[in-house]
Amino acid sequence: MEKMSVSLSARDMVKHYGGVVALSDADLDVQSGQVLALIGANGSGKSTLCKIITGVVEPDGGRLTLDDEHVTFPSPQTAKNCGIAAVYQELSLVPDMTVAENIWLTHEPLNGGVLVNSKRVEKETRDLLELFAGTYSGDLEPGAPVSTLSPDERQIVEILKALSLNPRLMILDEATASLDAQQVDRLFNLIADWKEEGKAVVFVSHRMEEIMRIADCVSVLRNGETVGTSPIEETDEEELVRLMVGSTRAVPEQPEEVLEPSEAATRLSVSNLQTRILKGIDVEVRDGELLGIGGLQGQGQSDLLLAIFGVIPFEGKMVLGDDEVHFSHPRQAMRKRVALVPGDRASEGLLMRRSILENLHLPSWKQYGLPLSMEKARHDAHRVADTLNLVMSGLSADVSSLSGGNAQKVVLGKWLLRDPKLLLLNDPTKGVDVGTKQEFYHLLGELRKEGTAIILYSTDDQELLGLCDRVLVLQDGAVTAELSGSTLTHSELVRASLGSNQGNHV
Amino acid sequence: MNNIRLKRLSLRHPYLFALLLLLVALGVNLYFQPNLFSPRVLSGNMRIFLPMMLVSAGQAVVIIAGGIDLSVGAMVSMVNTILVTLITRESTTSDVLVGLLAALGAGMAAGAFNGVCVAFLRLQPIVTTYATSFIFAGIALWILPRPGGLLPSGMTELYRSAPLGLPLALWVAVLIGAAWVTVRRTRYARFLFAVGGQPESAYATGIPVNLMRLSTYVVAGFMSALSALALTLNTGTGDPRIGEAMTLSSIVAVVLGGTRLSGGQGGIIGTLMGVVVLGTIRNIISFANVPTWSQTLVDALIIVGALAGPGLIRLIRSGRERA
Repeated sequence: MEKMSVSLSARDMVKHYGGVVALSDADLDVQSGQVLALIGANGSGKSTLCKIITGVVEPDGGRLTLDDEHVTFPSPQTAKNCGIAAVYQELSLVPDMTVAENIWLTHEPLNGGVLVNSKRVEKETRDLLELFAGTYSGDLEPGAPVSTLSPDERQIVEILKALSLNPRLMILDEATASLDAQQVDRLFNLIADWKEEGKAVVFVSHRMEEIMRIADCVSVLRNGETVGTSPIEETDEEELVRLMVGSTRAVPEQPEEVLEPSEAATRLSVSNLQTRILKGIDVEVRDGELLGIGGLQGQGQSDLLLAIFGVIPFEGKMVLGDDEVHFSHPRQAMRKRVALVPGDRASEGLLMRRSILENLHLPSWKQYGLPLSMEKARHDAHRVADTLNLVMSGLSADVSSLSGGNAQKVVLGKWLLRDPKLLLLNDPTKGVDVGTKQEFYHLLGELRKEGTAIILYSTDDQELLGLCDRVLVLQDGAVTAELSGSTLTHSELVRASLGSNQGNHV
Repeated sequence: MNNIRLKRLSLRHPYLFALLLLLVALGVNLYFQPNLFSPRVLSGNMRIFLPMMLVSAGQAVVIIAGGIDLSVGAMVSMVNTILVTLITRESTTSDVLVGLLAALGAGMAAGAFNGVCVAFLRLQPIVTTYATSFIFAGIALWILPRPGGLLPSGMTELYRSAPLGLPLALWVAVLIGAAWVTVRRTRYARFLFAVGGQPESAYATGIPVNLMRLSTYVVAGFMSALSALALTLNTGTGDPRIGEAMTLSSIVAVVLGGTRLSGGQGGIIGTLMGVVVLGTIRNIISFANVPTWSQTLVDALIIVGALAGPGLIRLIRSGRERA
């Protein structure tokens, strides 16, 4: 095969989603025979940058140059025609179509230019599957609907789909996340072949060990900005982590008094908790303690909170206070004074079009008799609104009239009215302004003083560092590190999230 | 494992359930009407089924791509009135040709209007096509306020003819099926299923999702026009409300034929069977002296059943898992 040649360079890329800046000043350079690793913390803009290069997202600013010519990609098809293919993090497969149909979608070999040549499709699909032979089960064959495959097999199909285009530039966005070690090895062998052929590869991964193994060059993104690019030999894990983390530190206000929770009674003790995602987790939290849950997004953190609250079924032992419990419905957890502030307040936490009063009392109307004693309800609601320092025009105003931060206070307020003993927070400060965050942190401090045990999952590392006594880091549904005291630092947290020095995927 | 095999089978041959229903329905019908397959009865039935088959095939294409068209009935009415206005007993051959072209053009234009609203203005298919159905129904009433008009007898006789011993309508039905089997093997069909199955994936793969959506509504308009033609040839006259009842029936036929209402799965072979099942149920009802209002009830129950089916199955399954 003749050697391909390609060079792509993206300069000063900018992308906003509404008011949120996804990319502010991102650069990327890659050429034939090179593997560029693109790394960065949660929400640093890696996926957005990849989507711009593949034409899925249109940038608001910046310049794309392909083979020394200025280009724009208004649609995925244009990028594809230029020889750019991508393996996406959220898969681009159609579940109810077969493996072969998915792989060849939009470039099916045709008979006489009209009818799909199904024999050739079948044969070439088998040839492609041969590349991963021995690493998947018997279910993976050309005629199998994608919806019947396991996640790793789907990922393989996704990789083969991109490969079937014989692209010059291949983008692998978290393509190894659901693959096992053997499959990753196979993929890396393939990548080595691609380099020989003159293909260029952009490799996005959270696994430091893989990056060190495969990349020639590495670019680091932080808050939508490229903060460093260098050949892999001239850098090491230490420096990359430092670049990802940055030097700026906006650590939230520490709680005024450091409590001594070690003497308090254990509020919740969970051992060997298992769900579809979690693989045997032990958690213990005492009265007045604030336990943080960290790690990359989607490693099972939400599942942990939901399982404790009885939303999803689980196996394992759970002791709350002095009683062994096994909640199968949130109602049971609520009765035991457990509260959950969900991750998505608009869809799970609030009735946006109803009044603040109604929202606050949603879980507690029972206490107000029949007919409802509205005076008492209003009185209680006012008390909570004062505690929360809720900025509102009145209790009868719609929740949708509140700012993001104040709306989140209402979600918290409705549980405060029930006086919880264990408070579960699922990334509560997402999209909340700095001022409200400070109030929120202060409030958590107050709750702790009253003896409430709190488990906080946050995607904001600074929050975990500043607020928590201990932080459990989750990866692939298991606890990979417990940080506290002197080990509770940002670089430790990032390192543990990336699972570096470990590379122990299944 | 068994589940997987079942899933594969239902994806590859979505009409299997319809085939079963068809055999049962035909069996019962045969019991009440022993001469069901005599040339006269067969021809009569097929003449009635064909307009439904044409309109339902168009509906199936829209539904497979994830949309729905509630204006097909009104489009049939509109095209029917255009046909009987442009073509009369006195028409010359060229007049007839002009009339046919105008009718098909009107159907496609109406479909394109739906398609632009849904695909490019991003309006809800249900609401859009429900609204446009009033526009098309209004145009029909404006063209032909009262039932009337008469086609040349040569045309209606042609529709009743039986080339090679089988009714013309049956040949056309076979042609629709053959056309679908062919189309199913083109890229267009793959795109259709991808757009209906997972539009985001289809877009990321480089499929022109909007154009695909637009095209399905044009197809539905075209098929509605053909349906109107068949209907007009059968009755020989015009009626501005002739298609009203066809919209709901077309959806029922599509669903009966194994096409998923949310898109991405199904086909036209099953849809054709669905039409025959519906028509046969209608026959049975009239022969068994069951009140005719029950036909609407049957239609409605089929739709509710089809919508609730997947949910019910899930409920039963999760119940079994818990037990």
